[in-house]
Amino acid sequence: MKTQVRFVAALCALGVTCAFVGRLAARAQETAMPQSAASVVKTNVYTSLDPVPRGKEFQVAVVVNIASGYHMNSHKPLDTYLIPTTLTPQLPAGITLVDTIYPAGKNLTFPFSPDKPLNVYTQSVTLRLKLTAGDAAALGDATIPITLRYQACNNSACLPPVKVPVNAAIKVAASDAKAKPVHPEIFAASSAK
Amino acid sequence: MSNVKCAWLLCAAALLVSGAVTACRSSSAKASNSAAGLQPAPDVTFKNLEGADVPLASLKGKVVLVNFWATWCDPCRSEIPALIGLQDKFASKGFTMLGASMDEDGVKAVDPFIHTTQFNVAGHQRTMDYPIVLGTDAITDKFGGLLGMPTSYLISRDGKIVKKYIGVVDERQVIKDVESQL
Repeated sequence: MKTQVRFVAALCALGVTCAFVGRLAARAQETAMPQSAASVVKTNVYTSLDPVPRGKEFQVAVVVNIASGYHMNSHKPLDTYLIPTTLTPQLPAGITLVDTIYPAGKNLTFPFSPDKPLNVYTQSVTLRLKLTAGDAAALGDATIPITLRYQACNNSACLPPVKVPVNAAIKVAASDAKAKPVHPEIFAASSAK
Repeated sequence: MSNVKCAWLLCAAALLVSGAVTACRSSSAKASNSAAGLQPAPDVTFKNLEGADVPLASLKGKVVLVNFWATWCDPCRSEIPALIGLQDKFASKGFTMLGASMDEDGVKAVDPFIHTTQFNVAGHQRTMDYPIVLGTDAITDKFGGLLGMPTSYLISRDGKIVKKYIGVVDERQVIKDVESQL
């Protein structure tokens, strides 16, 4: 008797599971894509010094966390037709850009390109700006607006290229101010790459 | 067997069958979905690369695969040989491809691409020689929004959307789907 009840219960459970899986599969294609290209990444912005003394070089790091199952072209994709990831700051007066540092991407193949690898970023990537605050930089709090541009794909489809605005907050101080390095976990790790 | 046990068994069997049917329906093509309830294709007008209007309605009477793509989209490029093959195989039977480019640069990006980029189609180097038009966000909005590329819509002779494909099409499946409409 107990065995029969268990068998019937197992059959019921299997039926319910099949129905559920079926409905999920029916919607899978739709839900596999995000609602917008911008929702594929989450960004965090860090500054290396607090405050930033005039005349001193500092860095801004944009940590880009890419949704699971997605990749974005690196800054140097292997084909010219691919849209590279770029970071473009709109510099306030007195702040100058020394360099933009993009890590190397990984060469990976995908189901739509099994024989030809693509150079991509996956999971998390840290892009850095090296900047200096000159004498003309206004003392006090400032914001550096930055545009992150990328084009992301999953294993079977691509999202349109998108520009995501991010802001770096800095505090400019006099040249003799003592600068405290902050977020060493970001900047030490990035420098090592 | 008692009546209660019988009822349990019947209930379980019914659930199992309904689950299996749902799963099968969801995983197989719906191109033969000719029953009532299909959405009509939206009333949209594309521009071709010469700037002339191409109303989708002007293709009524043909089976159409509208394929939204872009030159920078590798998955889109990977399915182009299959799409050229579809045009070759079915154009004489009342089918046409309609490649709608979503490139921001429009003609400037698309025109050189379609004339110079070669694709290996069954061992032959071919250009993208099926009809190409320019898509816009306004057009894709009328299709319900474009989440990713490639996205394709199979449209029946009477102008109904038979199937939507998100991502690279499965060549065998799309052939079956097109055949079912011809």
